[in-house]
Amino acid sequence: MTAELEARVDAIVARYPQPKAALLPVLWEAQRARGFVDLEAEEWIARRLGVSASHVHGCVTFYTMYKQKPSGRHHVQVCTTLSCMLRGSDELLAHLERKLGIREGETTPDGKFSLVRVECLGSCGTAPMFQLNDDYHENLTLEKVDRLLESLP
Amino acid sequence: MPKVVIDGREMDVAPGTTILQAALARGNEIPHYCYHPGLSIAGNCRMCLVEVEKQPKLVIGCYTPVAEGMVVHTASAKVQTARAAMMEFFLINHPLDCPICDQAGECRLQEYAVEYGDGKSRYTEPKLALAKAVDIGPHVLLDQERCIQCSRCIRFCDEVTRTGELGFFQRGERTQIGIFPGKRLDNAYSGNVVDICPVGALTLKEFRFKTRVWYLKNTPTICAGCARGCNVVVGVGQQQTMMTTRGQQDDRVKRIVPRVNEEVNGHWICDEGRMSYRREQEAVRLTDARVGGDGVPYDDAVAAAATRLHAAASQGRLGAIVSPRLTCEDLFAWKAVLASLGGASFAVREIVRGEDDALLIRADKGANSRGAEWVLGAAGREAEIAGKVSTVLVAGDTLDPADTATLARAGVEVIFVGPFVSGAAENAAVAIPSASWSEADGTYVNFQGRVQRVRRCHLPLGEARPGWRVAADLAQAAGVRAPSWTSAEEVLADLAAAVPAFAGLDPESVGLLGVGR
Amino acid sequence: MERILTRNVDREGAGTLAVYESSGGYQALRRAVTTMTPGAVVEEVKKSGLRGRGGAGFPCGLKWSFMPKEVDPKRPHYFLINADESEPGTFKDRLLMERDPHLVLEGSLIGAYAIRAKAVYIYIRGEFVFATGVLERAVAEAYAKGYAGANILGSGWSCDLIVHRGAGAYICGEETALMSSLEGNRGYPRLKPPFPAASGVWGCPTTINNVETVANVPFIIERGADWYLTLGKPPKNTGPKLYCLSGHVKRPGVYEAPLGLPMSELIYELGGGMLHADRPLKAVIPGGSSVPVLRADECEVDLDFDALAAKGTMLGSAGIMVMDSSTCMVAAMARIAHFYHHESCGQCTPCREGCGWLESVLNRIENGAGRQADLDLLISVSNNIIGNTICALGDAAAMPAISFVTKFRDEFQHHVEHKSCYEGTMALQGVR
Repeated sequence: MTAELEARVDAIVARYPQPKAALLPVLWEAQRARGFVDLEAEEWIARRLGVSASHVHGCVTFYTMYKQKPSGRHHVQVCTTLSCMLRGSDELLAHLERKLGIREGETTPDGKFSLVRVECLGSCGTAPMFQLNDDYHENLTLEKVDRLLESLP
Repeated sequence: MPKVVIDGREMDVAPGTTILQAALARGNEIPHYCYHPGLSIAGNCRMCLVEVEKQPKLVIGCYTPVAEGMVVHTASAKVQTARAAMMEFFLINHPLDCPICDQAGECRLQEYAVEYGDGKSRYTEPKLALAKAVDIGPHVLLDQERCIQCSRCIRFCDEVTRTGELGFFQRGERTQIGIFPGKRLDNAYSGNVVDICPVGALTLKEFRFKTRVWYLKNTPTICAGCARGCNVVVGVGQQQTMMTTRGQQDDRVKRIVPRVNEEVNGHWICDEGRMSYRREQEAVRLTDARVGGDGVPYDDAVAAAATRLHAAASQGRLGAIVSPRLTCEDLFAWKAVLASLGGASFAVREIVRGEDDALLIRADKGANSRGAEWVLGAAGREAEIAGKVSTVLVAGDTLDPADTATLARAGVEVIFVGPFVSGAAENAAVAIPSASWSEADGTYVNFQGRVQRVRRCHLPLGEARPGWRVAADLAQAAGVRAPSWTSAEEVLADLAAAVPAFAGLDPESVGLLGVGR
Repeated sequence: MERILTRNVDREGAGTLAVYESSGGYQALRRAVTTMTPGAVVEEVKKSGLRGRGGAGFPCGLKWSFMPKEVDPKRPHYFLINADESEPGTFKDRLLMERDPHLVLEGSLIGAYAIRAKAVYIYIRGEFVFATGVLERAVAEAYAKGYAGANILGSGWSCDLIVHRGAGAYICGEETALMSSLEGNRGYPRLKPPFPAASGVWGCPTTINNVETVANVPFIIERGADWYLTLGKPPKNTGPKLYCLSGHVKRPGVYEAPLGLPMSELIYELGGGMLHADRPLKAVIPGGSSVPVLRADECEVDLDFDALAAKGTMLGSAGIMVMDSSTCMVAAMARIAHFYHHESCGQCTPCREGCGWLESVLNRIENGAGRQADLDLLISVSNNIIGNTICALGDAAAMPAISFVTKFRDEFQHHVEHKSCYEGTMALQGVR
């Protein structure tokens, strides 16, 4: 925990009437710093916010976006809920599995790509789509996907 | 006072009472898992759904306060359908562990399945596989598959001990009870989660596979761990097999669980109290009488002891060091008998360890310290006695052995009457076995001044007799006026007549929950 | 038709304060806090007939009127904006937040004033990273201009505006789960009562409103409730509405129209008609996946709260998901069931166990391992969930299941008997 990170945590805590409410934003800060949230960070956060370590772990494991171990450099999250399914998300996912050489839920051995299936991302009008790290890539075709993958460092 | 009708019968209830509380108070069972009177309301198991007229849906009884004019049906067709539905849901991922699960016989899933379930499951999909027999603490094992996610254990650690070890991890169907990786469920009250778990998800290591609960003979009594005197139930094993022999000693304490007493311990006991029977079982018992270290018949030892005690008493050189774990009856017996012999200087052992905590634990480990105060009046301290006596009676358990080596070196003769072989018995001129805490009826007075009943849970081992019996036998052997007691109740009657603090008390008036004085 | 809610979204510089103010933005806020009492604001919104746009359609002004009329200093009031948009088929709040964030902020601030709130927390789903950034920049602009913070526009009323990011949980769109999450807990819905206005976040009086709902408020204040009552189908279905069209149509997207837009107009005119000329309409889910499905022959209906309720379904979040004749209804329902199984918080027994059961049975039927008893089993399990749960997620899983099995029973039956999809339908839909 760096001094800078601690200062950011203090600023976040100040936005709420009780420190526990800062938990989700602080977990985001921890994940931003390292790419994932490890047990040591959970314990630090627990002490800082005055909650038990089990409480923090309970939240990390409840919310799907917190990662307990690093994902690939390019984390591909494919939406497969109904509207995306109707517009080919399953074919898209299968294509990605073939292209990347991994199954859904896995990371490539070189750590470059990870692939997961996620629920509705609120982009049904531009289906099929996926979220790559923070960014939405919408109105996908298999060709667009291939070009995008090639362009990634 | 709102008037509510439950299943056709009208009742008055205090404002704020929930439907479940009102029904339970009237002996009308509404099945439930997550509700517990000592914890906050969770309302998640949905087993207590009942029908309230004019409500569009069934409501949970544990959370719904009764209102004036409310009409409740706890067993209507709709309710029965819902209960059967909930039971089916509870069982679809639940492992068929009954044959190997300690909870069998006191398991609400079993009971409610029989009472309210459909008797067959329509579930044919794979069951969730989770971790089993996980060691999460010094006393507790966790089986995540058996858990019904009622959250009682989490609420206990959050609200009662405020240690927060347990939590829900994951989400949805995969929700599981867990503890932070690397941490332990090691607060001083961890065993209570086993009691409150309605199923076999949390079990006690020390009880695991020891016996089936229907073989236990249960006796309500008082814990002897400290001056609080938590109300407990002691379960003694009564294995009914053809192969039981005397040597197997099945008639032994298998577990201790709390009994509810709102004045003393609420719904809980501490782990040390829960495990106190193990300390006793692990210690070596004095099962036969000894003179000079050699085994002799009980009567011979009594005669030898009576002679020495009488001689010392008539010279004014008799001391008595008594344990604060002795019952009031035993203490009164020693006081009376030693007085008949010519008198003695009394000291009550002080067993103090640590500090009072915010919950139940008292630093004073003498379960009957207060009783000793009331029975004996002001008593001196151990150290003061040593220099003034030639003979000392050491009475009661000495699990923390008295440093009788000091007494022996000072040439003081020790007459020991107690349950355990320990430093005192080994250095004693005469050692006579007496009943341990779980082997005799009696009364304790806790730190609040509450008189409570200690009960005999099983027969004394070997030649051991209740302390008051040994005292009376000594008086008889010494040829002085001996009491004619045949039961602890008779001793209490004499005690009540002699000491104002006990006036009017008898076992029935003390009852199951004790009497504040 | 005049574009009201979406008037700014396609403008150059949309999202900036300058563009927003140039079309009269924040005039409503000024009007409210400098010339109206909080009570008067509540009355105007009540009069307008604005109903919640998050899914439940509860009258907004009425919800605001539940708040205490005076503030106990020990129990400040809080206004929470539900930007957790996660209902499958729904993407309208995202449009507003990304392209006209100040509309959302102005509506939030007026609502906060009406309920005398000390702070507004916008709970935005964690996946909306871009929208979060846009909102945060807009919040900074609002503070700089004095629209938020201390002594807003000299009114004496102070209110903070805080953007709070979720982290991936559909259940946090349920208002009591949102409060649990905001407080720093797992997103578990709460037992009611108490209701949020009596005791919400941190034990304080709280109101929760959807993004689109508050986006209507500046217009109501600026132009008046009487004007609002001319839009849509008064008295109970008033105002403009954002419809989210998705699935097998040529032009999926967000379309604004007054409440009560006929479904056929949305699909065939605004939406450009079916995606493939040779694949006619088969079914529509009108209100996000939590509502019962309509067969094609049931789709002559206006898209408003009451008309859809009369058809045994709901407007919900207005996520209109269109399925053509190539859709395998078993696969579609299995996919919907997977969603609820994944998103169930697990707190209460029927939903925790039942949602997984529904998905397992549906997957088996889809994969050719279904049994005759499974069809009635699905309906029975669904009925055992409905009404017995802490929150509506259980109902949201169960009601679609019942409607699919009932209305497309022959197709489910075919899967059981023939272990395959109807000819011409496919579980695996192509990308293009």
